[in-house]
Amino acid sequence: MTASALALLLCLAAPAAAAEPPRTAAYDRSELSEFNDLYKNGRYEEALEGYKGVIAQQPANPRALYNAANALFRLNRQGPAILYYSRAFALDPRSTDIRANLDYALRQTGQTLVPDAVPAALHYVYYLLSDTELRAAALLFFWLACLVGAAGFLLDGSPSGKAAGSAAGVFAALLLLSLAWYGARVTTSPFSSAGVVVKAGGARILSGPGDNFKTYASAPEGRLVRILDSTDDNYFEIGLQKEGIKGWALKSEIERL
Amino acid sequence: MKNHLLVLAALLALAAPARAALSVTAETDRASVPIDGNLYLTVTVSGDSSSVPEPKLPNMQNFNVYDSGRSQSISIINGRIATSVSFTYILTPRFIGVQRIPAISVFNGKEKAVAQEIQVTVTKAGGAQQQPRQAAQPARRPGRAQPGKPAAQQAAQNGAEQIFIKAEPDKRSAYPGEQITLSIKFYTSVPLSSNPQYVPPSFKNLISEDLPPVRNGELELNGLRYAYSEIKTALFGLTSGPAEIRPLTVIAQIPSNEPVDPFDPNFFQNLMAMSGAQGRSREFSTEAIKLDIKALPAGAPADFNGAVGSYAVSASADRSQAKTGEAVNLSVTITGDGNLKAVTAPKLPDLPDFKVFDTMSSLDVRKEGDIISGKKTFTYILVPRTEGRRTIPPVSFPFFDPKTGAYREARTEPVTLIVEKGAEGGKNVYFNPAAAAPGPVTASGSDIRYVTDLSAGAPALPGLAAKANSLPLWAHLPPAVLLALAFWLARFNRFKSANPLLFRFRGARREAFRDIDEAEGLIKTGKTNEAVSVIYDSFMAYLSDKCGEKVGALTMRKAADLIRARFPGVTDAALEEIRELWSALELRHFSPEAAAAEGASDLAKKYSLLIELLEKELRS
Repeated sequence: MTASALALLLCLAAPAAAAEPPRTAAYDRSELSEFNDLYKNGRYEEALEGYKGVIAQQPANPRALYNAANALFRLNRQGPAILYYSRAFALDPRSTDIRANLDYALRQTGQTLVPDAVPAALHYVYYLLSDTELRAAALLFFWLACLVGAAGFLLDGSPSGKAAGSAAGVFAALLLLSLAWYGARVTTSPFSSAGVVVKAGGARILSGPGDNFKTYASAPEGRLVRILDSTDDNYFEIGLQKEGIKGWALKSEIERL
Repeated sequence: MKNHLLVLAALLALAAPARAALSVTAETDRASVPIDGNLYLTVTVSGDSSSVPEPKLPNMQNFNVYDSGRSQSISIINGRIATSVSFTYILTPRFIGVQRIPAISVFNGKEKAVAQEIQVTVTKAGGAQQQPRQAAQPARRPGRAQPGKPAAQQAAQNGAEQIFIKAEPDKRSAYPGEQITLSIKFYTSVPLSSNPQYVPPSFKNLISEDLPPVRNGELELNGLRYAYSEIKTALFGLTSGPAEIRPLTVIAQIPSNEPVDPFDPNFFQNLMAMSGAQGRSREFSTEAIKLDIKALPAGAPADFNGAVGSYAVSASADRSQAKTGEAVNLSVTITGDGNLKAVTAPKLPDLPDFKVFDTMSSLDVRKEGDIISGKKTFTYILVPRTEGRRTIPPVSFPFFDPKTGAYREARTEPVTLIVEKGAEGGKNVYFNPAAAAPGPVTASGSDIRYVTDLSAGAPALPGLAAKANSLPLWAHLPPAVLLALAFWLARFNRFKSANPLLFRFRGARREAFRDIDEAEGLIKTGKTNEAVSVIYDSFMAYLSDKCGEKVGALTMRKAADLIRARFPGVTDAALEEIRELWSALELRHFSPEAAAAEGASDLAKKYSLLIELLEKELRS
């Protein structure tokens, strides 16, 4: 009975482990290199078009996003540059190049990647994994906790069962940790539910979703804002936490991350 | 991570007091300006690298700000670079009183420099100032407006708008890089509380350059006198294809004579919209304007780098005599009309007698006559390799001239140098003396990191994570179901271990019928004695499982008493059946010769019927 149950367990675990072989060559190196040559020769606009073509095919390619952001930065389009750097950072937060350039671009607009009160090392650890990776880690720990826990119940009473039970407890704790980490990131990170002011000259912040409302503040180009509500057809409800300002801005002036 | 911390600690430990290489100053051409005048703000950024950051002006609600141009000087003396760039802005005040230009800061990623805040007094417009009229206020000329009727009423009568805005480009089709001049005119027939705020448009496939100053004037339209302010902007197409000037906005404060009704449900909203004593805030926007950017014609020269305009090029060296190993600055200057910001360095011809070290550029932009023009100087650092009379061949600069619609090529004159043999020690060239001497590395500037070409391999983890997340929710149910099943099984096994009699009681019938099947198989093969033994043992086991005690060790009477005590509801008929079968089985079990095939088969049937009867009688 126990042996057959273990066999069933292995059968279920196998597809999960071998669901998808690791794709290490997802992005075409030569394609980016071609546009990098344009970038090298100062033809930033053409390079940008090329990078955008790659992004259209591979929206989750952090390298193409990073290169596009570099081209935008060279074209002095700070807002879109910060938008693309932020998207690249969200996908590959461990890349030192992406971190450095995002921080550099943010500093040009009076912002910083690492808040003043937060140690840089702690910030690095906090963003060690992307949101996608955190969710995947939570799923992995869920599978491990369930499978190892099931083995522990099937081997109930034996030393192996006891060890499996302890391991399942560890995986369950890791699952809770990853969920708490992800939840904290979703609620506190400036890159979560965020947008960037992409309009040259900045975005107007209105007291309501319409031109008939008063303009009472403006957010400069490149400013990261929190998107509070996006249900209106033309306006985002946005918040500027540092200034304590909440208002409405045109969707054409703010791009969601 | 540990390595990062160590590097950080080492950098902090080695950090020496930084020399302030970056500086910024800001000044205005005057301390007082009438409300209808212009103010020139010059921000000068200096640094010790070839490029210095452009200042980001703070948000100024009290001025409209227009970029007026830039002027750059770069010098390389004894290998040391010094750059100074003056950015000029034209400010038009919006409100009367003491106005503040906040502190302007620049940041190069490493150092930050701040210019002091400036205060400017904005005075009322008046003839004494002898300034051109700046604010868009209609002149009150007797005789033109109908006496006794305000302009607003006249406008309403004539069906004309009191205030409106127009945006018109001088051409709707242009080549990439060819200047398109956009004229934005704001008309008003009523006096405004303050100068309007101009919110510039955004563009698609275009870049823009302000063309200040703001022009003002008056004209008559539909019998109504209007004052207008005109702002011009130079636009340059980026690539061939459609381009668009998106709507622009002007926010004006219009005096309101209407009192705010305190019982109006929107009382607070109306009060806020009044903006104090300055009137009601209204926004005026233009429609989007579509433009067509034509493709450049075929037949571009091989070294054409995309320059569009009308240019001349010249070259000069900072000295006519040099020694081998010594740095010589060769400046190639491109002057003319066009978007010089987009002009890239012309390619130098092959210079086998020189080593080319570095290229720096400086840019001066002028906006006279609403034409973007200026000069861009590329400074190449050349080091002669060989002695003698050496000539730098002409440098060619091909460009496309939109006026003639053809490609042209400008060329420099050759530059001749007399090169003498230099000392061995002069073969090393340094562009920063601090770096030449032994000592810590001194950063001279900062910039973004270079693009990547995936030489280190694409990151696999994000792709894997995305795949895992894309699995449907039901795909994650099996482990949860398995866990629940395993949990139930473990609980069941524990219960079974804790209650063996209960499971024997429940399983007695199943075991008995399995034994009957086995006995019938033995009877068919002629093994009647073995069959009777199986039935006998099975009957004893059945009664033991039902009673929870080993019945085989009891006498028939004691067994009957036990059954009656255990199952009070059992009938006498059932007990009689038990006794009969028990006796018959004992007889045949202990006298094997009597167990004929027919008798054994009867016993099996009788046992089967008794089991069914007892299953009904023996219920706890």
